[in-house]
Amino acid sequence: MSGPDERRPFPEVDDAHLRLSRTRTWGGLETDGAYGPAEPDEIYVENLGDPGQFPFARGSYPQMYRSRMWTQRTIVGYGTPADTRAGLEAARAQGATGLDVVLDTLSQEALDPDHPMFGPEVGSEGCSLTWLPDLEVLLDGIDLTTTDIAWHATVGLYPLVLAYAEQQGYDLTRLQGSHMPDHVTLTLSGYGEKLLPVDLAQRATVDVLEHVARYTPRWATGFPQCYNLRERGLTPVSEIAVGMAIVNQTLADLAVRGIDVDQIAPSMAWVSTADVDLFEEVAKFRALRRVWARTMRDRFGSQDVRSQRLRIACHTSGRSLPYQQPLNNLARATVQTLAAILGGVQSVETCTYDEPVSIPTPEARELAIRTQQILAHEVGAARTADPLGGSWYVEALTDELEAAALKLLGEIEAQGLLPAVGSGRLEELIDDHNHRVEREMQAGERLKVGVNAFRPTHFTPPPRFQVDHAAVAAHLAAFRERKAARDLEPVRTALRDVRGATAAGENAVPAMVRAFAALATTGEVWGAFRLGLGHPYDPFGATEPPVPLD
Amino acid sequence: MRVRVLLGMLGVDVHSRGLRTVSRILRDAGVEVIYLGEHNSAAGMAAAAVAEDVDAIGVSFSVSTYTHYVADLTAELRRVGAQDIPVMVGGLIHPEDVEHLRSLGVAVVFGPDSTPDAILDYVGGLARAL
Repeated sequence: MSGPDERRPFPEVDDAHLRLSRTRTWGGLETDGAYGPAEPDEIYVENLGDPGQFPFARGSYPQMYRSRMWTQRTIVGYGTPADTRAGLEAARAQGATGLDVVLDTLSQEALDPDHPMFGPEVGSEGCSLTWLPDLEVLLDGIDLTTTDIAWHATVGLYPLVLAYAEQQGYDLTRLQGSHMPDHVTLTLSGYGEKLLPVDLAQRATVDVLEHVARYTPRWATGFPQCYNLRERGLTPVSEIAVGMAIVNQTLADLAVRGIDVDQIAPSMAWVSTADVDLFEEVAKFRALRRVWARTMRDRFGSQDVRSQRLRIACHTSGRSLPYQQPLNNLARATVQTLAAILGGVQSVETCTYDEPVSIPTPEARELAIRTQQILAHEVGAARTADPLGGSWYVEALTDELEAAALKLLGEIEAQGLLPAVGSGRLEELIDDHNHRVEREMQAGERLKVGVNAFRPTHFTPPPRFQVDHAAVAAHLAAFRERKAARDLEPVRTALRDVRGATAAGENAVPAMVRAFAALATTGEVWGAFRLGLGHPYDPFGATEPPVPLD
Repeated sequence: MRVRVLLGMLGVDVHSRGLRTVSRILRDAGVEVIYLGEHNSAAGMAAAAVAEDVDAIGVSFSVSTYTHYVADLTAELRRVGAQDIPVMVGGLIHPEDVEHLRSLGVAVVFGPDSTPDAILDYVGGLARAL
């Protein structure tokens, strides 16, 4: 059996959304899939290569969006699993070819919605997703071998989805979707030492990636998750440097587990951002692909072209969108989306203009997906691969970015990635940049329209999205009731196995899958994992395991 | 006498970039910053404010649950008899909520439109009052 019986229909993607609609200009001139020098010299072949050729600076595929349109994503996640399910259906109806599900902050941090210290956040900035019954509601009738859901989640999500897939009878080798198992970036993104000590973070990453490589080869991993780091305060140069440091360390750790680069790298997609500096971002994507390709081939001995041609998942920059005059953010998000496309990424999620105001309103979500459709079908941005290749400016920026990134990467690796995280050095790098940006804003060296320049005379606060708090309260009550009614013995056995496997240095994912199948919650499964590594069950010391695990 | 300010975040909000930047700006201006970071409870923050004998508390939010947490914090400060410590609230604060925050006992709100100079002016005022 490859999937569940259809119980609740979920709209399919119209084929028109997946293909480039026109290769001629609006004026009627026919165009080629790619352009390049009439007689490529050695430097061109070595440093650029045609699209689809090593080192993939000009794109990972020869025909780029002519052969496959980038996946046009929209972001959904609020309230209960039922609320978010309704949002997914609306997004698909608007033409989103890929769906991004965002979890609320508690779920992302592996804290259950009934955690005694927290609670008002449940469902407020994403979907509350804690255990198997939540997935049963959210995914009812959605075929996980054909529907591309990108989960904006790290902690606990992969074993939870596997438990659901097994329950539904899926063949795991055909399981599609993706998540972002880069726990080290979470450590750097405000989760901190208490929630995610760096040893635990890297262990969780390696366990998940090993399991993906061995058992779910079509499951994609957003790895490294550099989006968070850019939003936190890295530059395009340091995005490449820190991201590659994380990749290099992780591939080395996986090699110790017997996982070869060509077993895992094809499952990886770099999660990046496109900020508003169009040419710098385009150059970054080009330099990044070159650094990746050479690293995979020369450092890790990759023989498989699928490992060497990097796929990039891009979200435009929420950080760059100010609260002031939020409609201006439509212009910013459009340029950022254009940068991603001209840079040759494989999927784009365009931020909504109202992101700094509240979680996206339905109107703003629709505008975000329409922006991508306009760029794909009206602007001609998708017509030819690497349209800025050969521009003196863009080529120089690409070279400069690469050189600076490799220099910084060398400095990080001289210290070691985990010591660089643990010692706070990378956080300092981020703080330095943010401080510099603030000084430049104050000095007027960096103008932000509507913020420190060209300020409006009148300001009308934009509307806010309102979560249905009554529905969330009912969801939480049902969760408490069902949790209290569980048979605790299987939960206890499974959580003990998670802790035992973790402490023994075995891959903890299979035990986590069994624990979710036994109706354990994310907080419980992650708590047992923490115990296995000698950390407290609850980072805040406010909860105990549901049954003694000793 | 140097002004001492406690900075931190409440709840599960991890978007501390702004608060970390404010922390550095205040330190550069000679303010003594006790930085609590993310994931604090109202009780923990109030206790720290008393233990550190601070002149002000700054909390920052990027999520919409700030009214709940600010109410908790100001209630806790009253409970421990520290309601005289001014509370500064910053971050993505919607203008419609400013009045409500003030009614909860918040001394000053620095929303998305506020500049570092506005924060420094306010903290500088605390220094002159000491």
